[in-house]
Amino acid sequence: MTYFKRFLIVFICGIVQIFYAAYLLLHLFGYSIDWHISNHDVFMFIPGILVFVSSGILCASYYLGDKKNNNILYDEYTALRYYKIAAAGYALNGIGIFVLFSIQDWANWDFQSANNMIYQIAAFAWLTFGVLLTIFSIGDYKEYKNG
Amino acid sequence: MGKHHQNLLNNLEDLRKKAGLTQQELSEAAEVSRKSINAIENGIYVPSTVLSLKIARTLKCKVEDLFKLP
Repeated sequence: MTYFKRFLIVFICGIVQIFYAAYLLLHLFGYSIDWHISNHDVFMFIPGILVFVSSGILCASYYLGDKKNNNILYDEYTALRYYKIAAAGYALNGIGIFVLFSIQDWANWDFQSANNMIYQIAAFAWLTFGVLLTIFSIGDYKEYKNG
Repeated sequence: MGKHHQNLLNNLEDLRKKAGLTQQELSEAAEVSRKSINAIENGIYVPSTVLSLKIARTLKCKVEDLFKLP
C-alpha cells in the first residue's frame, strides 16, 4: 500500500457514494432528472460493495503489509484525522436524521412513507460520509506531497 | 521554540536541525510519517508518549527538552 493507492481507494469510494446518494436523494424528494439509473436493484449496491471491498483491502494491507511501511501509512496522526472525520460524520448524520424526521408527513403516514424515510436516511448517511471521505483523501494526499 | 499547540510548547524543529536531520530522516527513525513530524513541529498535533520517547531517543535528548507545558 502507498499513499497514492490509499488516496485512490478512499477517493473513489467517496465520489461513488456522493454520486449515488445525490441521485437517490433527488429521486426521493421528487426532483425530476432526465437521466435515470437503468436498474436500481442492482446498481444501488455498488457503493456498498465498493466500501466493503475497499475496507477489506485497507485492513489486509494494515495487518499483512510491510510493517515499516505501515508505521508511516497508518500512524497516530492519520488515525486522529480518521477519528475526527468519523465524529463529524456521526454528528452531521444525527442532525440530518432529526431534520428528516421533522419533515415527514406524519398525518398521512403509511408503509410507503416509512420506506421512503429509510431510503432518505440511508442516502443522507452515504452523502455525508462520501463528502467526508473525499475531503479526507484529498487532504491526506496533499499533506503527503506538500505538508 | 517553534510554533506551539495550545496545550504544549515544542522545541522539536530546533533540536532536529541541531541534530542535522531532515523531517524525513527523523520520521523514518521514529517510525511515523513525515507529515506527523511536520504537524508536531507546527503545533497542530500533540504526539503520544511512545512517539515522544521515540523522537527523544532519535535526537538523543530528553522528552522534557522537546516539549514543555505552557
